[in-house]
Amino acid sequence: MTTATDIEKKKPLAGLADSGAYQKLLAFASLIALLIGFSVVSPNFMQTSNMIAILQATSVNGVLAVAATLVIITGGIDLSVGTLMTFCAVIAGVVLTYLGMPLLLGVTAAIAAGALCGLCSGTFVAKMKIPPFIATLGMMLILKGLSLVISGTRPIYFNDTPGFDQISRGSLIGEVFPALPIPNGVLILFLVAMAASYILGRTVLGRYTFALGSNEEAVRLSGVNTDIWKMRIYALAGGICGIGGILIASRLNSAQPALGLGYELEAIAAVVIGGTSLSGGRGTILGTLIGALIMAVLTNGLRVLSVAQEWQTVVTGAIIILAVYADMARRKKAG
Amino acid sequence: MSKLVDMTGIEKYFPGVHALKAVQFDLVPGEVHALMGENGAGKSTLMKILSGIYQRDGGTLKIEGQEVSPTTPREAQNLGIGIIHQELSLMNDLTVAQNIFIGREPRKRFGRLDEAALNAQTAEIFTSMNLNLDPKTLAGSLTIAKQQMVEIAKALSHRSKVLVMDEPTAALNDAEIAELFVIIRRLKSEGVGIVYISHKMDELKQIADRVTVMRDGEYVGTVNAADSPVSKIIAMMVGREVKEEPLQVPDLGAAEVALQVSGLTRNKEIHDVSFSVQKGEILGFAGLMGAGRTEVARAIFGADPKDSGNIRVHGKTVSIRSPKDAVKAGIGYLSEDRKHFGLATGMNVRDNIALASMDLFASKGGVLSDGEMASTAQQYIQQLGIRTPSDRQEVRLLSGGNQQKVVIAKWLLRDCDILIFDEPTRGIDVGAKSEIYKLLEDLAEQGKTIIVISSELPEIMRLSHRIAVMCEGRLTGILPGGKDTTQEDIMHLATQRAAAMQVTGTV
Amino acid sequence: MFSRRFILGALSAATLAAPASMASAADEVYIPLVSKGFQHQFWQAVKSGAQQAADEYGVRITFEGPDNETMVDRQIDMLAAALANNPKAIGFAALDSQAAIPLLKQANDAGIPIIAFDSGVDSDIPVSTATTDNLAAAGLAADKMAEKIGGKGKVAVVAHDQTSRTGIDRRDGFVNRMAEKYPDIEVVTVQYGQGDHLKSTEVTKAILTANPDLNGIFGTNEGSAIGVVNGVQELGTEGLVIIGYDSGKAQKDAIKSGLMAGAITQNPVGIGYETVKAAISAVNGEDVPALIDTGFYYYDASNIDDPKIAAVLYD
Repeated sequence: MTTATDIEKKKPLAGLADSGAYQKLLAFASLIALLIGFSVVSPNFMQTSNMIAILQATSVNGVLAVAATLVIITGGIDLSVGTLMTFCAVIAGVVLTYLGMPLLLGVTAAIAAGALCGLCSGTFVAKMKIPPFIATLGMMLILKGLSLVISGTRPIYFNDTPGFDQISRGSLIGEVFPALPIPNGVLILFLVAMAASYILGRTVLGRYTFALGSNEEAVRLSGVNTDIWKMRIYALAGGICGIGGILIASRLNSAQPALGLGYELEAIAAVVIGGTSLSGGRGTILGTLIGALIMAVLTNGLRVLSVAQEWQTVVTGAIIILAVYADMARRKKAG
Repeated sequence: MSKLVDMTGIEKYFPGVHALKAVQFDLVPGEVHALMGENGAGKSTLMKILSGIYQRDGGTLKIEGQEVSPTTPREAQNLGIGIIHQELSLMNDLTVAQNIFIGREPRKRFGRLDEAALNAQTAEIFTSMNLNLDPKTLAGSLTIAKQQMVEIAKALSHRSKVLVMDEPTAALNDAEIAELFVIIRRLKSEGVGIVYISHKMDELKQIADRVTVMRDGEYVGTVNAADSPVSKIIAMMVGREVKEEPLQVPDLGAAEVALQVSGLTRNKEIHDVSFSVQKGEILGFAGLMGAGRTEVARAIFGADPKDSGNIRVHGKTVSIRSPKDAVKAGIGYLSEDRKHFGLATGMNVRDNIALASMDLFASKGGVLSDGEMASTAQQYIQQLGIRTPSDRQEVRLLSGGNQQKVVIAKWLLRDCDILIFDEPTRGIDVGAKSEIYKLLEDLAEQGKTIIVISSELPEIMRLSHRIAVMCEGRLTGILPGGKDTTQEDIMHLATQRAAAMQVTGTV
Repeated sequence: MFSRRFILGALSAATLAAPASMASAADEVYIPLVSKGFQHQFWQAVKSGAQQAADEYGVRITFEGPDNETMVDRQIDMLAAALANNPKAIGFAALDSQAAIPLLKQANDAGIPIIAFDSGVDSDIPVSTATTDNLAAAGLAADKMAEKIGGKGKVAVVAHDQTSRTGIDRRDGFVNRMAEKYPDIEVVTVQYGQGDHLKSTEVTKAILTANPDLNGIFGTNEGSAIGVVNGVQELGTEGLVIIGYDSGKAQKDAIKSGLMAGAITQNPVGIGYETVKAAISAVNGEDVPALIDTGFYYYDASNIDDPKIAAVLYD
């Protein structure tokens, strides 16, 4: 074992860089720096109500980004997360408002619909060998259309389902700590993120998610049925989009069938800022969460500063490029 | 005679690593100077400094007496230094001519490309190399060997005075190696200096004039190739003597037949291949590139579909339609291309060892026990002598030999008792090679059934209890192992083409 | 390295674009306007009207809206950010009224008056609404269409949206007027192009292919109307009566060249102006009318340069 320690001595940096701790630190430091920066420049920024507004603005994009992270780690991409979210919201609307079913059934139906659609995407990718970009692009459009068809092109309101809007707008935390009325939507985001993190880190499904992104052929030649695992991952991501659908429907107290296009790109941006590699094999949920928070803080902060809207978009774009560049530079250094 | 290249006292640091320590190297016109050393010895780093990919942190680099510091590969090319990388860098979707002239295509007015001139110039280079290849062929459609030839043509097209070849024969068969040597000798006679990096000792004797050995980033010494025995060079490389034990073919007697393959056929690649292997036996598969050995292995393993054929494992017919079925039957396949087919390189040693056996570590709900995975991994790290700082090290950071051991551990853990090794020592150091050989012998002794596919005849003869030889998709014979079989016997079978095959057997 | 550049970049962009933010004094009257859109010329005209009022009365405004009119939740986030900045009043054009109600209540409880504009807010919280009567305006478009095609024939509608209030009102205003007053005119189809020029062009071409004997098409907003003109031009159809909605350079040119018969214009500058003016009145505790009709006009080649019309048109 002497040789082992020799190698360790030769590469003192390898351990730190490989653990990804550095990247997380970097993203987290950027988030803190943004918060401090905005607080210094605007006295209105650092208020409890505004912090809660930021968290709430993160909740839907965060959940979608968690779903996108899973698929991206396999080396794929999911363009359908936005419209799938809408589709699930519409399904909840149909079950709850049109059919008058109980609340729990509507929520379950929405999540199940998400998982089912994810399974469809997964089948296209794994079994029919359609590239993920194309398969999920197709799903994105199919779901956008279906949402409009099923809803009759009208928003479906949840006025007849008492408690539905509390899923996102209510605050269990606020009942316990009245000074901290963090909405349930945020709580749900963190629960989803913790669950996804656990699945990625501790389960067979998670391990195969990384393995597929790292080298799919090697996994297949190890005797693993890669198709089935891939389908499971897409289904899981779909189910998470279903949760996203519930969150947005509850927040708007309505299922908006025309919504959703463009949300996939923001989710992917959060994933990328969080340090997940688009080529697969690497990524963390915590990073994605921080990425989503950075986007929300940035948007909110620039608004509070009354920066002209044109410039807000420019800055956000620049941040995405900067974040990915920093990640690349770090990886190159780590060799 | 002035020196083409003169490097002295070269220093190079990477974060946390002192990669080159006062290394010296020189090259005179018209010589082949071999650069030897185990992986990680610093050969590639030194050559990357010569070819402008890295910049040196100390020392001097003179080209034809002038001190230079190329900062880009392009500058080095302009100084007359061409490099052929170990990992091929061709663009698969371009033609070979487009590849060769990438970045300096002949042009017509208004920036239009002159495809005709491009193809004509390429054809000229191919003719000078005695290479029969259409310049308009897509690079991706070529075999690895032919792609290597294209890389050489690309370097030649730069009219280089210095040509660095990093393991140029790694993917070539004997006939192609002979062709390559003809080209190298022609370049030599034209006064080109060639730096030749290789692990193959027998090649040095044939082609090299001088040999420089490096170890752990340090210069060990330079000797004349003609009057230095191989054992001396190896001793310089590993810092100790490596002794080769002669092969003992065990008497397996009536040991059970572990794997029986009959009538295996697939497309044009495999024709009616039948053989059997006993428990505890090492069966070698010899043949030229493209003889269909890898294809046989992949078909048995279910990685590619087969047209017909019967596979019996321990006497029972098994239906194998995917790798999953093969693994269930206890067959493991270790691909020649570990990076693409063997390892999830971005993941750590622990996960790679467990890759085929996740179910062993998972609860009913699919939750993994990382503790169990770690202790299992550590057990194999010790058992197989895998050199790694910990079981959490990413496998891409391990040496080739240790990567191979990780793949072996994966299959042992899966309880596979039939293991097919495809080129088990490709890209592995001399020192580590004998370790792998020893490991294969131990496995056979423990009752595993081993199939070894190799393009290196010494390796086949060193390991095999019996030697199956293939030619153009057919099994042309099975020879006994040990000293009764000579390389000539094997080559005879490896070139025994079927009459019907000679018509279609092109490429 | 990343974090340092990160802050520098963000801050320099922020300070460059918003020097005013640093100077915000406690007694300054700040009125954010959260609109339904931002990029379209129509919204820019609303913004310029609002700015005009702000300059006149010496208050500070900001004007924001989501990238497209489906992004309901993004608009809510904008409203939340606006509330964080201690505004004296808020101007708001809801994409979906229900979704905004919790925040509007919060503003109301804090004593911040809300002025609704454009499509308004479906609630009794706003103290006033500055808007165009879209139903009546589309009805006027129907009257003009009937007049141009001689009271009988076939017409179609290229609408911008099937869910929003303006989309629904303009479509229904046109279709209902036809049904009530012109029995010999058939509205053969209503198609949606999302207000996108290109999509509306394709939609128009499809309609014309399916109905070669069509007499007229009504485009319900700027993007739809231009799409109709493009589609007709690409197919080379002649003798078709096109009536548009809103203005913009392309639409004005089409009217001048005779490609388009005419268009309905709202008064976007007036909407912006009246919104801010009403907000200031509310802040000062003065009475404001519950509904401010900002008006609409029909314009064609004959009156496009009329000062009264030209004042409400935008490029």
